[in-house]
Amino acid sequence: MSGASAKSMLRSPFILIVGTVLTWFIAAFLVWPNLNVLLATFFPDGSFSGRAAEKLFSSQRAMKSLGNSFLLAVALSVTVNVVGIFIVLVTHYFKIRGSRILFLGYASTFIYGGIVLAAGYKFIYGDKGIVTALLLKVFPGMDAAWFSGFFAVLVVMTFATTTNHMLFVANALKGVDYQTIEAAKNLGASDWTILRKVVLPMLKPTLFAVTILSFLTGLGALSAPQVLGGRDFQTITPMILTFTNSPTSRDLAALLAVILGVATILMLAVMTRLEKGGTYYSVSKVSSALQKQQITNPAANAAVHVIAYLLFAVYSLPVLLIVLYSFADGAAIQTGQLSPGSLTLDNYTRVLTQEAGLRPFIISVIYSALAAVIAVGGLLFVARLLQKYRNWVSSLFEYLLHIPWILPSALLALGLIISYDHPNPLVGGAVLTGTTVILLIAFVTVKIPFTLRMLKASFASVNSSLEEAAAIMGAKTLYVFRRVLLPLVLPAAAAIAALNFNSMLDDYDTAIFLAHPLVQPLGLVIKANTDGAEGVEGVANTFVYTVLLMVITGLTMYLVYGRSSRRGAKGKRARALPAATAPAAGPSLTEVTGTKEPSAPLR
Amino acid sequence: MRKLQTLMAAAVAVTLLAGCGAGTATPAASGEPSSTSTVPSGETLVVYTNSNGEGRGEWWTAEAAKAGFKIEVVGAGGADATNKLIAEKNNPIADVAFGLNNMYFAQIKAAGALEPFEPAWAGEVDTAVGDTGDGKAYWPLVKQAILLGYNADKFSADAAPKDWTDLWTKDEFKSRYERVTGLGTATAQLVFAGILSRYKDDSGDLGISAEGWKQVEQYFRNGSPAVAKTDLFARIASGEVDMGQMPSSIIAEREKSFKVNAETVIPAVGVPLAVEQIALVKGTKKKAEAGKFIDWFGSADVQAAFAKQFNSMPVNKTAAAQANPDVVKFFSTVKQQDIDWGFVQENMGSWVEKIELEYMQ
Repeated sequence: MSGASAKSMLRSPFILIVGTVLTWFIAAFLVWPNLNVLLATFFPDGSFSGRAAEKLFSSQRAMKSLGNSFLLAVALSVTVNVVGIFIVLVTHYFKIRGSRILFLGYASTFIYGGIVLAAGYKFIYGDKGIVTALLLKVFPGMDAAWFSGFFAVLVVMTFATTTNHMLFVANALKGVDYQTIEAAKNLGASDWTILRKVVLPMLKPTLFAVTILSFLTGLGALSAPQVLGGRDFQTITPMILTFTNSPTSRDLAALLAVILGVATILMLAVMTRLEKGGTYYSVSKVSSALQKQQITNPAANAAVHVIAYLLFAVYSLPVLLIVLYSFADGAAIQTGQLSPGSLTLDNYTRVLTQEAGLRPFIISVIYSALAAVIAVGGLLFVARLLQKYRNWVSSLFEYLLHIPWILPSALLALGLIISYDHPNPLVGGAVLTGTTVILLIAFVTVKIPFTLRMLKASFASVNSSLEEAAAIMGAKTLYVFRRVLLPLVLPAAAAIAALNFNSMLDDYDTAIFLAHPLVQPLGLVIKANTDGAEGVEGVANTFVYTVLLMVITGLTMYLVYGRSSRRGAKGKRARALPAATAPAAGPSLTEVTGTKEPSAPLR
Repeated sequence: MRKLQTLMAAAVAVTLLAGCGAGTATPAASGEPSSTSTVPSGETLVVYTNSNGEGRGEWWTAEAAKAGFKIEVVGAGGADATNKLIAEKNNPIADVAFGLNNMYFAQIKAAGALEPFEPAWAGEVDTAVGDTGDGKAYWPLVKQAILLGYNADKFSADAAPKDWTDLWTKDEFKSRYERVTGLGTATAQLVFAGILSRYKDDSGDLGISAEGWKQVEQYFRNGSPAVAKTDLFARIASGEVDMGQMPSSIIAEREKSFKVNAETVIPAVGVPLAVEQIALVKGTKKKAEAGKFIDWFGSADVQAAFAKQFNSMPVNKTAAAQANPDVVKFFSTVKQQDIDWGFVQENMGSWVEKIELEYMQ
């Protein structure tokens, strides 16, 4: 099924419709605006100059920062996987005491990030931090500024970016057929062998997808290096942002962005190739829900418990301190001196009684929700088709859909402005600048690559025999999609939508260029109140907004994910998780295909 | 059933946005022809500004409302506002822009996004600090001095540096001053405008002599890099550094918040002044109303009230008489550095690029 040719694809009317819409969307909003902005950048007077490359390659600082970004990207791809897989196993696979509480701690990265997260870690491990003060009492001779440079940046970013593991890898783990584990046990495999040879291979599609995301996060690192990198470990993103904002140096920004973009695409190609090398799934037809495993070796068990709780402390301390500091005045936040008497509600009063009030919050919630739903809803079909049909046409589409990963969002926004500030036939002769739609378009496009990757991965982990069975029984393509596939990927789709929603709530880079003057989202208000930024109120406001956003995003995650995981928990008790997530497909299908023996993971 | 609900929810959300967009967009679009009187018509004006932080935006929109103007503020940093105005020049959304300094407005004017005009208060301001080119397109409002400040509890006036160049030539100041980690801000660019224009040399790289570039190199080599989200005053308070760049308007407030006693250096060559300006956006559909707003906003009364509220230094001579006496006294004693702004505007982009690529560490 995976080898369907381009010709056979064109025979299905469903594919033709999706394909036409997709072609138009890619041409109008991914290719044309970005081509425009790149042409304007690299061919300012109609002729190309090699100036940008020459300048960049002769700059020691640019090369070093670029190197640092790559180093961080590669290192993060490893460390995030190590920590991410560990916390997923601890919360979802092994029997660990208090795993629900551990989950809450590890899940704190769902709800916050960016500069405030880096600041939170600095409150703890920085030269005036709590842990540093304790360490200094034990080792008086140590360097108070121990937590800086590459090491500090890597540590903070590792712990900050395990969100995708907690959501998607955990979700894929829930889909692992317990019978394969039991079979391996019966054959005498140890805990470690089962994990390595049975469980992890089945998570491969999802692990590949989240690895690409970790790589990308490392390449685009901004706030952690700024706060903790010190003199020796600065990354390339601040330089890209400075040059993007300077019209005469924009070609340098675009070139740097293209270099990072090409690296991302290469990474994507490598991962796609590895993925082709073998998608592992169970062919058992009566799969049963995963049961948590007891670690049999007592020493290993104790060690895993200790590490799990240490990580819990690492994850939850910064959040607690950020909430605490949001009640302190800006001077206390910046000097790190906190006294219980100085905590007041002043910051919250100031932020919440502004004239703009709640309006920006509502606008951002509507925009983010719409963009999240449109991106996920639209790409559900596309991801399915790209996963099912693998030929040159689908690869081309797939790579084109990753264009938003290549350029920084400010350039994407500029591209949309210069392409649609006049009547353009691509959008039916409409002018889009100055309307409320253009920001929505930008939000949707920016979220396409992430959404596509994660959706594709979740389709890949769906057992294809369910679909085949439905087709044999005469179900039409759309019916199979609606009644069989959709229910299976819905938990992942909901999680993706929630993450998309959260990430757009405080967007500034896109909104500053595209927002309608009367419908300004939250990011602009936050910027106005936190900028200049280093001011006293500004920093305090940053913390207040972070906490307020934590409340919104926490609520979103609870609504989307907390409730579904509770449903999952109920299902687990009934020992029928797959049936619970695929109510429509369950009973009838097992009847038809349930005659085969359960077997070990296969290619 | 569940998917039906999902569909319904999506439909409701789409309708909401459509409603939201249409409903709120209408007042902006409905531009009634305005009369020629000085009375505002009450049309909504879209104003881009970087002068909306720390309560300023709320203060002046409230004042404008009292005077009969309906304003929508779009706040953006100087560089963002500049890029936005230039990008939107074919189909402008803003009617008025203000708060950006002369360097930014010179860029916007060069891109052809400003409409030349003359405000009613043109005679009350010193045009030398405004648009010095032909067809004046931006007019000065507020002066800001870009200063080198130091911790007065650590250094007496005699022991303190006398000029920026002392920071890297005298050992006692090395590593004791904060240096910038990016040239994206107007303040940082003005500091370098002040340093580099002393070394103007037509045969040098980008119009600056080798000696001038050596100063820049030394500045970065010997300074303590700024820390993101940590104010210079916070670092002074904790003893990490003792001095660094500060715009005049923030000093009093920061001294109080961080309990720091700061003094400023006035070099023999003087200090660079940043002058915030106001301009009419080319292609605005509400030119008459925008003109009335500018006439009102730049008038002596409004500028004086603004100055009192935020301790700023108005360019408007009548308003200056009513500003905070301490501020006025400071600006009367401070010597303005003689900077060739045409030369600076022409080269600043390339300077920033060179510094970012070659000298910053």
